[in-house]
Amino acid sequence: MVGVIIFGFVLIGGIELYCWPQRPWKEVLAYLLLLGLAAALSVTIYLVPDLPVPEPLAFLAKLIMRLWQGGGK
Amino acid sequence: MKELIPTRQGIALVALFTIGNSFIYGMAPHAGRDLWLSFLLAAVIALPLITIYARLHSLTYGQTLSEALTQLFGKWPSRAVALGYSLFAWRLACLVVGDLTSFVQTTSLTQTPQIVVAAGFIILALWIVKYGTEVLARWSSIMIVIVVGIILGTLVLMWSEVSFEAFLPIMYDGFKPVILGAFQVLDFPLLEPVIFFWVLDALPEKKSSYKVFLIGSLMATSFLMIIATVSLSVLGADKYVSYYFPIFMATARIDVANFLTRMELVVGVTIALSGFLKIAVCVLVASKALAHALGFKDYRFLVTPVALSIVPGSQWFVQTIMGIVESATKIASPSDVFMEVVVPLLLWITAEIRISKQGENKAGKPNSI
Repeated sequence: MVGVIIFGFVLIGGIELYCWPQRPWKEVLAYLLLLGLAAALSVTIYLVPDLPVPEPLAFLAKLIMRLWQGGGK
Repeated sequence: MKELIPTRQGIALVALFTIGNSFIYGMAPHAGRDLWLSFLLAAVIALPLITIYARLHSLTYGQTLSEALTQLFGKWPSRAVALGYSLFAWRLACLVVGDLTSFVQTTSLTQTPQIVVAAGFIILALWIVKYGTEVLARWSSIMIVIVVGIILGTLVLMWSEVSFEAFLPIMYDGFKPVILGAFQVLDFPLLEPVIFFWVLDALPEKKSSYKVFLIGSLMATSFLMIIATVSLSVLGADKYVSYYFPIFMATARIDVANFLTRMELVVGVTIALSGFLKIAVCVLVASKALAHALGFKDYRFLVTPVALSIVPGSQWFVQTIMGIVESATKIASPSDVFMEVVVPLLLWITAEIRISKQGENKAGKPNSI
């Protein structure tokens, strides 16, 4: 299945790049990098279905909840 | 390249985006029978913030947000802000796709993998976003008539089931549930149009942004409030809170002379239409903001990877129907508050200060940054 996912991304990327009228190297590089990230995310989600979601501001939610409920007492 | 959007189409775009996928859920469940009060309170709180969005757009009139941000904050801070909004829009798109696929799987296509439905929505969104904002705006100006017409027609057919006693007694549990409900409605979906900074590059007049943001948001708020209150009055407060999709269950009760039944299917179609628009707008914003963050002028070449990454993302953020409903009806999350309230306030204050300083330096008062 991992192979199929990667093949799908390679196919889409190949066809789309072929269809571009011009291929400036910066845009091609950014496109390939992002497509690679999308493929990596797909494979990771497939292999690790319970992958934890990053929550950079979760501590704020906990703090507000504690304050709302009476300062955690 | 700036894409000109007529005011009427802009209003339709904001209204349909705000309605989006939100009306399938029991909005403001914390408030129970007082949800109408939560909606009114949320509208009152949202109004100044949405006016700030409009004011900020008006201050940067004649420029794209990318140009305005670069002038306001400089090159690298503006790129950081753009990256933040790109991630925010991407996450929102993932949640909306997750909502729609779960809804479809729960109500009709029970044996179909969610990824198939998600891929369908994403391919269509990718297609329309590549055509640009103008096509999206034209599409929404047509579809809003269909969505609002169908839903209002359905609500009229439900009228015989409506019981206003479901709203009594008023505020029996105090004001706290009303406030919690209002915060939930603010977070999802009333303040989500913040991402329209990135969509509305060019409006016909400087004052158009006020019409677009305020009329669009007020239309959507009224519409959502009517849907929620009618659903609650048909089902009763207890069932409204316990069902995953109250509007769907309420419309299932329509039975006109044993002839006009199964109207919930029509509601399903409208959810697909408005949800699709929301996904498309999120993909557009994620691509545009990312293009600015990476230093590119055109965004269209980024649409495919951004859109494709939303399919696995929709399976990542929430995985069960309970998790999805919990995520949709949660009270404001910190990241949402940061992107919907804190950042726009900072941008607005900075823009006002910059303009007043320019006004002091120049003889004539400038119209924009």
